[in-house]
Amino acid sequence: MTEKSTRRRFIEGSCRLLGLVTLGGAAGVLTERTSANAVYQVDPNKCKSCDLCRTSCVLSLSAVKAVNDFEKCGYCMLCPAYMDVTSKPDEKGIPMGKVCPQDALKRRVVGRVDPDDPNNNYYEYIVDETRCDGCGKCVKACLPPAGNGSLRLEIRYNRCVECNECAIRIVCPDNAIVRLPVPGVAPPSTHTS
Amino acid sequence: MDSNETNTDTAGEKVRGRLWRVLFPAVAAVGALAALVTGGLRTRPAPKLTPTPAQPLPPPGSPAAAGTSRLLPMAPASAPPARHFDRQYSQTAVLGGARSPDQFRQSLRGISTGAGDQICVLGDDEIRVFDAGLRRLHAWPAPAHATCLTVGPDGRIYVGGPGRVDVFDDTGKRVAGFAAGEAGKPADVTAVKVFGTDVLVADANARLIRRHGLDGTPRGLVGNTSKTGGFMLPNGSLDIAIDSAGVVYATDTGRHQVTSWGLDGSARGKFGKFGMSEPGDFVGCCNPVNLALTPDGKIVTGEKMVARVKVYDPNGTLLALIGPEHFDPACVHIHLAVDSKGRILAADPVRRHVMVFSTNTPAVQGTRG
Amino acid sequence: MIAGVSRGLESVPARTRYLCLILVLVAAFASSIVSAQYQKKPPDFGGSYSFPSPTHPEPRTAWIRTLDVSLLAAGLGIGAWLILKKRSRNGLLLLNIGAIAYFGFYRKGCICPIGAIQNVTLALVDSHYMISLGVIAFFFLPLVAALLVGRVFCGGVCPLGAVQDIVLLRPIKVPETLDRALAWLRYVYLGLALWFAGWGLHLAIGSWKLDIGRRFLICEWDPFIGIFRVSGPFHMLAIGAAFIIGGMFVGRPYCRWLCPYGGLLSILSRVSWKNVVITPDKELDCGLCANSCPYGAIHQLRADRASCLSCARCYASCPREFEHHGRQAAAAPLIQVQRR
Repeated sequence: MTEKSTRRRFIEGSCRLLGLVTLGGAAGVLTERTSANAVYQVDPNKCKSCDLCRTSCVLSLSAVKAVNDFEKCGYCMLCPAYMDVTSKPDEKGIPMGKVCPQDALKRRVVGRVDPDDPNNNYYEYIVDETRCDGCGKCVKACLPPAGNGSLRLEIRYNRCVECNECAIRIVCPDNAIVRLPVPGVAPPSTHTS
Repeated sequence: MDSNETNTDTAGEKVRGRLWRVLFPAVAAVGALAALVTGGLRTRPAPKLTPTPAQPLPPPGSPAAAGTSRLLPMAPASAPPARHFDRQYSQTAVLGGARSPDQFRQSLRGISTGAGDQICVLGDDEIRVFDAGLRRLHAWPAPAHATCLTVGPDGRIYVGGPGRVDVFDDTGKRVAGFAAGEAGKPADVTAVKVFGTDVLVADANARLIRRHGLDGTPRGLVGNTSKTGGFMLPNGSLDIAIDSAGVVYATDTGRHQVTSWGLDGSARGKFGKFGMSEPGDFVGCCNPVNLALTPDGKIVTGEKMVARVKVYDPNGTLLALIGPEHFDPACVHIHLAVDSKGRILAADPVRRHVMVFSTNTPAVQGTRG
Repeated sequence: MIAGVSRGLESVPARTRYLCLILVLVAAFASSIVSAQYQKKPPDFGGSYSFPSPTHPEPRTAWIRTLDVSLLAAGLGIGAWLILKKRSRNGLLLLNIGAIAYFGFYRKGCICPIGAIQNVTLALVDSHYMISLGVIAFFFLPLVAALLVGRVFCGGVCPLGAVQDIVLLRPIKVPETLDRALAWLRYVYLGLALWFAGWGLHLAIGSWKLDIGRRFLICEWDPFIGIFRVSGPFHMLAIGAAFIIGGMFVGRPYCRWLCPYGGLLSILSRVSWKNVVITPDKELDCGLCANSCPYGAIHQLRADRASCLSCARCYASCPREFEHHGRQAAAAPLIQVQRR
């Protein structure tokens, strides 16, 4: 039950000082390299809509959603992302099959409306984010030349829990999940029609 | 014995102490395990709706499913229909291809033929003029962001760009120009054609055709009589052609129709419908994207998604089909022009070359539109 | 105000100022190139349609990250006071529950100092990796605290440790040699985590190849993240359940034998300035503290700083503490006997 000898205390004190200096130095080096907070986002130019976003997110309903760029959208009546244009048409000649397995792509008539001919109207397409699971079928169907390439997959930050390492990034075969400084705006898609 | 109990605790205190020390961790453990079980039970949402393609119908002549292209996988390609078309076209030449000295390296945006079968091509930010034998005559820089061009009956070259039309003579000197569109609403010019002293400008922003005088004065509108106030242009491109009688043809891509109008704006007729199986129908969401007229008054259309060129007569009967095997499946336009001998010049903007198709059916030598 | 701003600017190092200037110029150049490309406008649909403005939900703003760091610092401070000064087990329990609620369930256990090891490694290895001040603070604050006041992070703030601590029902005493041997696993895990975070695993033996890119092993194999997120792959939920059930009978198995950050903290804690101490002149040799320590950190009636997780159970069971803090002197007779 002796108290610590002065030599022991000296050694401990030196180790403590050394530890503090090392930590401080490392912190300083890192602070020099510090940058803004970074978040994960999908790069639409690399993404090939492979369906892994739907299954790999740590959340049960993936934080990746399809997003429509209204300035690029064609507002087509026969939207190739909304309806499966190769499916059997009804008696008016409009294909009956839908592309989205969750029925998450919704549309409504906009602009100057022709009430008699549905083929004669523009439709606004909006993704219902409570149903979209990020499978990317609509994104693939909208790519030129079939569509304008206005739909893209995007990580929505009101759902993303901002994991330290995005679980989708690990499995993405195209390295399309990139780290961007906040606010995490995805690079513009270069798909042109 | 638990270290915090002693023999001096009352029985009640012992029980309470034990309860607290057992209950609290047990409740915490049960809570944690419940969270884990809940996590395991939260399965992915089951699909609520499955697409209903009862019988996907194979479009004949479609490209094979997605190898290099990223299209929706189409039904398996079947051989081109054995049906006999009234006209047959075969490729006879290529202009501006990869190995030619006139290679287009960056872009290919428009094509038109002039008197004497000169060929004017807009590409690589230049206007290049070739003769009928595909030899280059001149070239000069195009105005910034030029989108289309045409050769007028006066031999001058009219080049359309955002909100304006520029006029060049055949040596490349700019001789005139005007702002296209209304004040405050510049036209998104996607095609330009000349008839007499009228310059017809396809305005994809306002979704109609504007008639301007050679000095730019507005003379009227064509194509604004539908209930939605204009053409339906989901991909923002309107192509027009005018024949020798002054009948204007325009692609109404959203309605899958080729429409015809008088110069005064009166509607004259239309043909075409959406369909993925019949070769005479237009596929996809917005087709045909390009248009030209033959000297004998037939209508040549270009389509995307299934990149092909078709020839119709004005009442909509399909006369010829130049199949997708000639064009890159990623084409979003196929710019078209027809010379006085009836040769179809189809510009593929992805492969950046112009393919020349000739027919063995003798074309009626009419004056070209 | 302008004077204040310019004074503030002067305090920014010159290198940063030039960098900002270059960035501004590059951005202007780039934007001019981008605007040089003609942007096709959508057509006029007629009627009264106006384009909906696209929603881009914002990620967590910077001030929330600052709040996290402040709460971490506050937690460390309060923890140090509760453990070393007040020596209150109940207070510490409340702090643990608060940490589980905030850092665990609310922040979903991310970002945590244990995971921050990987971010720091990656930032040191790859100068292009973006690391924020918040992450750096999360990594260094508990280490500095360990040098000063011991493993208060483990005892008061860490949500993973707190979960294991509160489910502890009946701790089994682990033989000391086994305990020491298992403690080496922490450093093995630390080495693997650093290796995968910084470089990934790329092996080629003959024609057999293994190519694993950079991965954050600690995050992927965190057993308790399934509780905080209430979701996860089946194997992680099963491992989490195993640690909870195991943790009811063995004290804090992850903390003692697997936590890589705990390995670092335990090294630093040995030379800390203040720490949990069983003072020799006051002890009664009763051994109640050693009985109460679930982590085998009291050897020969002295606190072993390397393994002590600062849980304050020894203080809670010490008869001297009852006397010191005037609590119900349950052990008073013991002390009175001594005095007499």
